[in-house]
Amino acid sequence: MEAIALTLALVLYLVATVAGGLSLALEKTSTRVVTPVVLVAAFLLHAAAIGLRSVAVGNIAVTSFAEQVSFFAWLLVGIYLLAQTRYRLAVLEAVISPIAFIGALGSLVDHGAVRDLPPGLKSPWLPVHVTFVFLGNAVFGLAFFVSLIYLLQERQLKSRRIGSFARRLPSLETLDKINFRFLTWGFVSLTLGMLSGVLWAELSWGRLWSWDPLTFWTTVIWILYAILLHGRVTVGWGGRRAATLTIVGFGVLFVSFIGVNMLSPGRHAGSFG
Amino acid sequence: MSGGGPAKVRPIRPGGALTRERDVELWIVGLNHKSTPVELRELLAFEGHEIGEAARRVLQVPEVSEATVLSTCNRIEVMVVAARGAEVAGELARFLARERNLTEAAIADHRYVHRGKQAVRHLFRVASSLDSMIVGEPQILGQVKEQFGLAAQSGAAGSVLRRCFEKSFAVAKRVRSETGVAGKAVSVSSAAVELTRRIFDDLGDKTAMLLGAGKMGQLAARHLLQQGIASVIVSNRSFDRAVELARLFEGTPVPFERFPQYLHIADVVLGSVAGTGYIVGPSHLHEVLRARRQKPMFFIDLGVPRNFDPGINDLDNVYLYNIDDLVSVADDHRAEREREAMRGEAIVVEEADRFWQWFSGRDLTPTIVALRGKLDGIRRAELERAVATLARLEPADRQCLEAMTLAMVNKILHGPLSALKELAMQADGESAADAAHLLSRLFSLESDDEGEPGTEA
Repeated sequence: MEAIALTLALVLYLVATVAGGLSLALEKTSTRVVTPVVLVAAFLLHAAAIGLRSVAVGNIAVTSFAEQVSFFAWLLVGIYLLAQTRYRLAVLEAVISPIAFIGALGSLVDHGAVRDLPPGLKSPWLPVHVTFVFLGNAVFGLAFFVSLIYLLQERQLKSRRIGSFARRLPSLETLDKINFRFLTWGFVSLTLGMLSGVLWAELSWGRLWSWDPLTFWTTVIWILYAILLHGRVTVGWGGRRAATLTIVGFGVLFVSFIGVNMLSPGRHAGSFG
Repeated sequence: MSGGGPAKVRPIRPGGALTRERDVELWIVGLNHKSTPVELRELLAFEGHEIGEAARRVLQVPEVSEATVLSTCNRIEVMVVAARGAEVAGELARFLARERNLTEAAIADHRYVHRGKQAVRHLFRVASSLDSMIVGEPQILGQVKEQFGLAAQSGAAGSVLRRCFEKSFAVAKRVRSETGVAGKAVSVSSAAVELTRRIFDDLGDKTAMLLGAGKMGQLAARHLLQQGIASVIVSNRSFDRAVELARLFEGTPVPFERFPQYLHIADVVLGSVAGTGYIVGPSHLHEVLRARRQKPMFFIDLGVPRNFDPGINDLDNVYLYNIDDLVSVADDHRAEREREAMRGEAIVVEEADRFWQWFSGRDLTPTIVALRGKLDGIRRAELERAVATLARLEPADRQCLEAMTLAMVNKILHGPLSALKELAMQADGESAADAAHLLSRLFSLESDDEGEPGTEA
């Protein structure tokens, strides 16, 4: 069942990628309505797949690397769809869709037997903690792309060459506003994630905090984004600087996520097998 | 029966639709910006309030049964419905000349004539703004609608022209929505405003500063106001001039020596100062940007020689465009508009062909459908009558009767309909239209049908 749902979701993500690409390349209105619909369908199917797997595991399915990537991709799509209701970010669909495809693909390929959760993780805290952290990451991920678009639009305007592509992007001011909003929400979510992790550790194992590569890097990232947020609010780091820093911040996040999961074990998520 | 089209239209008869008795033809005679210099166009133009009456006067031309007059800054045209075969072009040209006390010779070299399908195509092109000086301009459609309305009100335009014009509105809408021909700036000041929109989301809380009093600067400022910018600060070497302009824009005047102190309030700065030397350079802006907390600034340099140091474009969050940049933006759009215009032309040709098919009676479908309908009606009536008189009837027998009557009708129709279709294939659709009309008369098909191209009864 899960495999079916996942395969269908993958197919739809692929369709969304193609449709999104076509919408960008040509300016047809017909393809433009297709992609969001397809993405929503894929999102729901993907949710079903994750849900089914979670039911089989007995808790949220985020222990293996592949499962985490899949969950992250799913959240990314979800946030994108939510943001799309408010802002004109349709250009991103050609980017989000392939990412979601790759993310979910890993889960399908790595479809090993459902892993039994290590006893330490069998807790209702798991979904809370993981969801908040990953949600924060996904929002930062989206902010990363918005920042890229900002820089693209900015470069076009500065160089005084107007392509028709850039014309369909939101204005710089809008992009900046979106960026700020994402930054704020991502930071809140990440903070809640870390807090829930701390509380959980305290309640379950009696230790508030244990330093392992993941907590280390998450702290680094948290500080980075805190600085960025502070800079925006007080000094007025808007526009280009904020965009660049957001990109850097997410870069660190991304690399650390991969790195930690590949390289080092620990009490923490990542490699449980 | 589906009744397509607006309620005001009279029912259309099959086999010749609006070419009632197929004795009418469409004509357009006129002058436009391509064929005629503006001095002459000015002379010939009609004011809004004159249109209705002028259209009525056209009816005095012999053989003309309906007329409209179209007068815009790009063209003056007369469109009429005339009796088939009447050569009204010359008379219409004379009409235009006479209206303005000009000789026919004066306009002879500039006027053009369109007839039949060409007239339909021309009308569609005009309404879709494809024949305008600035292709894609939005005003023409409204003007055509309004002036047709005036002609209709005065009784000059009737059902034939109404059908043509209403179709042209639909075609215009289609061209505008399916192609990108509209909506791209081709003038310098609208290019400037478009760029402003790409930087700023909502102009309603933004301020512009106009330095100098050059015409381009004023135009851009006016454009920005139209687009909803909150306020304009005006500064000029002559304070009186600044006050005057500020009053015009309902803005604030500022003495020229002091304008740098107000820069931090301005989101868009228009440079339209005469004279040499840069009045704003990077050194001015560091403090300004800090005061603005790095909110973006858009400098539009309309001065020749330039007012703003090009180096300010290198600063973060500062965007500088001068006149050449704006012109090239507008030019880019022009090329794109031209590409889109070609797509629009294709749409017009397709729609004109389709409309003409129906209009000239070459579309036989209404006739065929009406004929079938009529015969089938008779068949059923007779069948019922027969069944009623039969004492007892098995369902199988009834079916047999059904089948027989159907077969009979089909066989009767087969020959004539095939022949009709063959006639329709011929290049000269006249004989098909004639045949359809004849059939419609022979079978008295007139009274029952309503039809429209694309809405099958």
